[in-house]
Amino acid sequence: MIELRTLNVNGHDYPVAVEAGETLLDVLREKLRLTGTKKGCNVGDCGACTVLVDGEPMNSCLLLASSLEGKAITTVEGLARDGELTPLQKAFVGEGAIQCGYCTPGMVTTATALLAHTPAPSTDEIKEALSGNMCRCTGYAGILRAVQRCDCYRGEAGGGKAAGPAEAAPETAAPPAGARHENVGVSIPRVDAADKVTGRALYTADIQLPNMVHGKILGSSVAHGRIRRIDVSRALALEGVLAVITGADVPETTYGVSPARYDEHVLARDKVRHVGDEVAAVAAVDERTAEKALALISVDYEELPAVFDPRAAIADGAPQLHDRYPNNLNTLVDHHFGDVEKGFAESFHVREESFTGNHIYQCPMEPHAAIATWDHDGTLVLYTSTQVPHYVQYMMAHTLHLPLGKIRVIRPAVGGGFGGKAETTPLDFCAALLSRKLGRPVKMVYSRAEMFHHGRGRHKQHMRFKLGVDRAGRIQAFVNENYLDGGAYTSFGVATAYYAGSLMPTLYHIPNYRYLGRRVMTNKPACGAMRGHGVPQPRFAFECLLNMVADDLGIDPIEIRRRNAMDPDTITVNELDVGSCEFKATLAAAREKSGWDGKYGKLPPGKGIGVGSGGFVSGAGYCIYRGQVQLSHEKPREPFQKKAIFPHANAVVRVTEDGMAAILMIGAAEIGQGSDTVLVQMCAEGLGVPAARIRIRSEDSDISPLDLGAYSSRVTLMGGHAVARAGEAVVAKMRPYAAALLGCAETEVVARQARMFPRGNEAHSVAWEEVARRYFNDNGPLVGTGCYKPPEGLGGDYKGAAVGTSPAFSFGTSVCELAVDLETGQVRIERFTDFHDCGTPINPRAVHGQVEGAIVMGASETVLEDVQFDEKGRILNPDLHGYLMMTIKDAPEIFSGIVDSYEPRGPYGAKEIGEGSTLPVLGAVAHAIASATGVWIKDLPITPEKILAALRARKASARAGER
Amino acid sequence: MYIDDIELEEAPTLEEAADALARHAPDVRVLAGGTDLLVDLKTGRVAVGHLVSIRRIEALRGIEETSEGLRIGALTTITALLRSPAIQARYAPLLEAAGRMAAPQIRNVATIGGNICGAVPCADLPPILMTLAASVELWSRAGQRHLPLEAFFTGPRQTVRRHDEVLTAVRVPEPPPGFGAAYARFGLREGNAIAVAAVAAGLRLDGAGTAVEARVVLNAVAPLPKVVDAAARELVGRAPDEAAIARAAVAARQAAQPISDLRGSAGFRRDLVEVMARRALAAAARRARESQA
Ligand SMILES: Cc1cc2nc3c(=O)[nH]c(=O)nc-3n(C[C@H](O)[C@H](O)[C@H](O)COP(=O)(O)OP(=O)(O)OC[C@H]3O[C@@H](n4cnc5c(N)ncnc54)[C@H](O)[C@@H]3O)c2cc1C
Ligand code: FES
Ligand code: FES
Repeated sequence: MIELRTLNVNGHDYPVAVEAGETLLDVLREKLRLTGTKKGCNVGDCGACTVLVDGEPMNSCLLLASSLEGKAITTVEGLARDGELTPLQKAFVGEGAIQCGYCTPGMVTTATALLAHTPAPSTDEIKEALSGNMCRCTGYAGILRAVQRCDCYRGEAGGGKAAGPAEAAPETAAPPAGARHENVGVSIPRVDAADKVTGRALYTADIQLPNMVHGKILGSSVAHGRIRRIDVSRALALEGVLAVITGADVPETTYGVSPARYDEHVLARDKVRHVGDEVAAVAAVDERTAEKALALISVDYEELPAVFDPRAAIADGAPQLHDRYPNNLNTLVDHHFGDVEKGFAESFHVREESFTGNHIYQCPMEPHAAIATWDHDGTLVLYTSTQVPHYVQYMMAHTLHLPLGKIRVIRPAVGGGFGGKAETTPLDFCAALLSRKLGRPVKMVYSRAEMFHHGRGRHKQHMRFKLGVDRAGRIQAFVNENYLDGGAYTSFGVATAYYAGSLMPTLYHIPNYRYLGRRVMTNKPACGAMRGHGVPQPRFAFECLLNMVADDLGIDPIEIRRRNAMDPDTITVNELDVGSCEFKATLAAAREKSGWDGKYGKLPPGKGIGVGSGGFVSGAGYCIYRGQVQLSHEKPREPFQKKAIFPHANAVVRVTEDGMAAILMIGAAEIGQGSDTVLVQMCAEGLGVPAARIRIRSEDSDISPLDLGAYSSRVTLMGGHAVARAGEAVVAKMRPYAAALLGCAETEVVARQARMFPRGNEAHSVAWEEVARRYFNDNGPLVGTGCYKPPEGLGGDYKGAAVGTSPAFSFGTSVCELAVDLETGQVRIERFTDFHDCGTPINPRAVHGQVEGAIVMGASETVLEDVQFDEKGRILNPDLHGYLMMTIKDAPEIFSGIVDSYEPRGPYGAKEIGEGSTLPVLGAVAHAIASATGVWIKDLPITPEKILAALRARKASARAGER
Repeated sequence: MYIDDIELEEAPTLEEAADALARHAPDVRVLAGGTDLLVDLKTGRVAVGHLVSIRRIEALRGIEETSEGLRIGALTTITALLRSPAIQARYAPLLEAAGRMAAPQIRNVATIGGNICGAVPCADLPPILMTLAASVELWSRAGQRHLPLEAFFTGPRQTVRRHDEVLTAVRVPEPPPGFGAAYARFGLREGNAIAVAAVAAGLRLDGAGTAVEARVVLNAVAPLPKVVDAAARELVGRAPDEAAIARAAVAARQAAQPISDLRGSAGFRRDLVEVMARRALAAAARRARESQA
């Protein structure tokens, strides 16, 4: 039933033909092409779709469009008037309220309504008003700040001169005269913030190509089975269905992430190995029809016994997922450095404990999406929501047997990844295959439930840890025995299994270390890389165990860390090369700022304080695949070489012909973490112009040279070097022209703030653009390039030594304060005090944004989150009301501090913050809960139910003790 | 995730709504705010060919103060409840439930009628309304029925409402002097989480501070809102002191029939019921004493 309705949107009447069951969200996005309003869940849980109806915020995914005649509907596009941002929008830009931006339209729209009712809301009122808007990136801190400080952005354009960001402290103001740098170490607003706060930023699902059709994938309904027969005839017969493909239509070549274990087919060819495993794909005129068609495909499975626990799966006689992994053992790591037996023998105190992690899903707010189209010359153009455009290109090439040069990957705005978008998805492949078949662009978008079934979340780990220390608490030996629950495919798992061991010795001096890691396959969605790749759960376990040992010995937990803390310029026991290290400074600062000494051990029951530390790599030392950039089938099987074969980050800067702007091209993936902004800053520093003169083009592989992508917290360090060098290369070309104009030696020319002058004589200067024009007049395009290769020879010579290598390592310490309701077990996380050694920050506000986001994500993962499965391997909570993440009302208050640090191997002294910031969090929360309750919960998440059970058990044993 | 093959009728009057419902029964649902129904339709929990929207029926809107108390139109949104001066002044316990429900975007759309008629076992309003002795009006061509809320529910997502009936209003009598009520609710997170266990409690005290009436209703731990008479018996005839409240809370715990699901095991829910009952009763007793003065 289609009827014509008139909808009043942003002040205009639009006649639209709507179906009875069509939601306002779909009409706005698909029919009015107002794509600022986002679809994050489609069932009222996330708030990304919020619009105002007669001034009140509502979820447009739960409103039928046909019933809204006569109502005034306002979307994010209707907030700014005549291109002028509202004060609230300016506050979002200025206060760091925006990262990936996917939640931003809903947030800013909801907050607009709040401020209309309540011009000066209290903090609690703001939190209540925004409690239906989920954000996975910011930890809500910047958002809260923006709403609180909206008034400061009223007045003249730009918020008025007097206004501006909070704490106009040194870090946010312009650098003082005489500062070494003018563009780095400065908290400029994100370069994409204005687009994101107005709904202009285009995410993959927002893009509409002419003649485009829509695809959907059918997932297996059984956890383990052999496909006997697939009948697609009824689906094909459905009006509007254009094509159906199954395993018979996909390449025989398998794909994956770890080159030694490419074990996935685009669509299942004979077996399915988890519920949701992809079996068929449909293309139809619209998504609605494609979805309907899925229900008409009948698959006949021979169901096989399934196994869901890695310890059961490794046993003899367990169901086998893949022939090539006997006993389902996907990866075995057996590392022994030093002599642990000797270390334990020499220990004063040894403690052994078991810990269990949880199934965490990254849950970026933007669902995965892809659009594929083929040019007439046979070039595949793939728009995809990814953190790793180059690896997608490589894997598409590998699987479809195309040269990489025939694949153009476009990465539109990405609404968060956290590792969940670090590999090529079935959407990418199926869109490409269906598009090739139909000769039309094909768009495919995951639903929230499909995201969960695609998986690639954090590996659940079962850990048995043994730690020996001397009388002073100094670590003598450590054994880490770990079963990683891998799910049905390898994905990143080989690296994960190594990381779970290799990054334990970077934080503390561990003289003797044994790591036994087994990644085992189970009939669940494959696990992959998530923020802190492989390390957060073992780090949680280690930090807990260290705190237990501190208590056993009566040593303060921060003190025991100090006694064991890593020192700068150390080669660890597993041969990782730690350069700069201000770990001890983070411990001291966190202790002081949190008031630790007045609180630890001195709080009333139900109140707790805890500490955790962590650190991470600043970029992996080696590329995920071996050899050069070339189709893998054409490469010989390459021996591993201890050096980068090609530069991992590459940049081109082209100065416009008038010299007034520079275009920075680098294929680095901006996924919300802010890489575009810091890369612009570092490039500006290299060029000697203000950042505002640079536009970055990072989204298109046809334009921007290769960067390996946003994983292993690598972009600031590696991309930063590339862009700074490209900027410097431009300046080098300008030098002779500047020297001629200035009458000085070329080597004396300095470029700063868009002027060029002889060193030490700023008064005698020429305009930067004038020099650029002179260069162009003589030579044509003014272009500079830069690249970065990690240092050669990183890591030891043992098997797996490459994993964990990095040019530099970060360090951090978090103190968590919380309250536990001892009757219900409810945990209220109140405050976090965090100090990080991230090297010298390029953009301090962006660093704090990463820390705030990581703390809330990490705390949420510690107390709330867990993907749960039933006995048939079906996910019980593939949605945002069953899989609970913290809302703004749950988020703690956060103090984020940066300690002074300079990393000689980093650009302008920088290291990393994105992933390392997660690592201290889990242990700090667990410790604080233990200190509030007197019981240690060693399996995640630490739910109220587990706390109550532990309290009860303790009471029972105390009673037994009395008797 | 799409709602397909459905017809929507916007009924301008109760009569037309009732007729449309009768015409399409049983392949039909009333559409109020749709915050429950549209989710059910999208996820396939409910599949029907027809929706009858009652949103244009003015008679179902508004909160009226009558001589007996309040008459709350079925289409009253949760936000409207929260903003109502009459409710703020005299029915504040209702706000404890309404204010913890969902998030503002949902509360701006979700209706009291939908919260009751959906009969979802964790719906927040029915238990507290039951302690306030609320009743519901059901209208059909056959006439109006008026029944106490506790007689309305028959099971999870099941009620005595006939297919052609529309719930038109909820009536809440004026709380007598010496009456106090409270709602204690446990959710797994602070914002936008449904109840894992909750307890509504109502107490009326005489001049001497002795409970003359008591009502304890459990939420989310039974197929329907569960009235615990055994808890009331622990209280009536004595002062609701700590010991009496503790005994009533134990009775509440015993009466719970929780299931285990992803939000918590049955045992955990029982623990919560006892704690929530204690807290709700303590708050209700405090308010009852205050309202005597
Ligand atoms: C994200 C989210 C969070 C939520 N959180 C909570 C929560 O914390 N607590 C809670 O209690 N609920 C919660 N809900 C559920 C829901 O919002 C409420 O139950 C709401 O009050 C339902 O009202 P509605 O008007 O939207 O009902 P609808 O969806 O329109 O209707 C619900 C049912 O009642 C029937 N119906 C509605 N009105 C009438 C009437 N007048 N006469 C006859 N039948 C009628 C409909 O046919 C349907 O079967 C949540 C929902 C979502 C999506
Ligand atoms: S898309 Fe509507 S609330 Fe998530
Ligand atoms: S910025 Fe909020 S979800 Fe990414």
